[in-house]
Amino acid sequence: MLIPRRVKHRKQHRPDRSGAAKGGTRVVFGEFGIQALEHSYVTNRQIEAARIAMTRHIRRGGKVWINIYPDRPLTKKPAETRMGSGKGSPEWWIANVKPGRVMFELSGVAEPVAREAMRRAMHKLPMKCRFVKREVGEA
Amino acid sequence: MSEVKIAAELRTEFGKGAARKIRREHKVPAVLYGHGTDTQHLTLPGHELLLALRTPNVLIRLQGDGINEIALPKGVQRDPIKGFLEHVDLLLVKRGEKVTVEIPVTVTGDVIGGAILDQQLVTVSVEAEATHIPTGVEVDVDGKDVGYAVHAGELALPSGATLAGDPEALVLHVIGAPTVELPEEGEAAEAEAEAAGEGEAAESEAGE
Repeated sequence: MLIPRRVKHRKQHRPDRSGAAKGGTRVVFGEFGIQALEHSYVTNRQIEAARIAMTRHIRRGGKVWINIYPDRPLTKKPAETRMGSGKGSPEWWIANVKPGRVMFELSGVAEPVAREAMRRAMHKLPMKCRFVKREVGEA
Repeated sequence: MSEVKIAAELRTEFGKGAARKIRREHKVPAVLYGHGTDTQHLTLPGHELLLALRTPNVLIRLQGDGINEIALPKGVQRDPIKGFLEHVDLLLVKRGEKVTVEIPVTVTGDVIGGAILDQQLVTVSVEAEATHIPTGVEVDVDGKDVGYAVHAGELALPSGATLAGDPEALVLHVIGAPTVELPEEGEAAEAEAEAAGEGEAAESEAGE
C-alpha cells in the first residue's frame, strides 16, 4: 500500500476540492488510461484495490502506471468524543484528485482486455471515471 | 503536407471576459508570433480548428482581416473533460524554413507471445522543412523477441527530415511479460472480507 515514508507535518488541513486538474490530463506513459470525471479524495486502499483488480484481470503481460500518490493525511476524531481538545489522529492517506486527471495507465494488452480491466478498476474508485486512449499525434 | 485554410479575425479585446465571450460563440482565442514580429491576437473558428489539429503538426494558412500567413500549432490548451479548445499558440513559419517538431512514432505488427512491447517514446524530435513535415515514423516489430530494441538514431526517418534529439534515446524495446501471482481462493476471499469489514467499520464510524 502506498504511504509516505516521512512527512513534514503529521496533520494537515483538508485539501481544496474545487477546480479541474491542471496537469496530468492526458495518457502519456501507456496506451489506455482511467480519467476522473469528478473530484474526490482517493485513499491508498482504493488505489491498491484498483491496481489489484487491473493486474488480476490482465494476468500476464501488460504494464500498469499509477499517476496519483496518496500524500495527504486525513484525520478523524474518535466516536462519541466531545468537541475540542485538539485535532483528531491521522486515519487515512489520500490523493486529492480533480476532474480530468488520468489516474492509472495501462499498456501491452489488447483494447478489449484493457477496457474490461479498467472497468473493474473503476468500480474500486470513489468517483465517476472514464476509459481514455492515447491520442497519437494530436496537438 | 497540405495546408489547411482557416479564416482568422484580429482580436482587439483581451482578458478572461473577452476570451469567454469568444468561446461562447464557439470560437477560439489564439496568438500568432515568430520571426521577431509583434504578437498578433486572433479569433479562429472552433470546429474547423479542432478538425485541423487532429493532424499532427498541421500547417495552417490564416486568411482574413489583412492576414495571410502560414503557421504551425505551438501550444494547444484544451478543456480536460470536454476536450474543446480553449486557446491556441501559433508559430509563424516561412516556406523553405527548417523547423524542429515532434512527430509521432507508430508501431506496426505484434511481438512474439509471452513478450510485451515497452514503448518509451511516442514522439521523436525532428528537423524538417516547414512545408514538408513528415506525418510520422513507423517501426515494424512483427515477430520480434525479448531483447529487441530500437534507438532514436536507428529510426528510418522520411527524406528531408533529420533527427533533432538524442540518437541514443531508447524508443522502444521488447521485454518479458511479468507474471501476476494469483492468490489461492481462500486467501482471496479472506482479503475481500477484510477489505469489506474495514469499509463497513469506516462507514459506521462516520455515521455515528
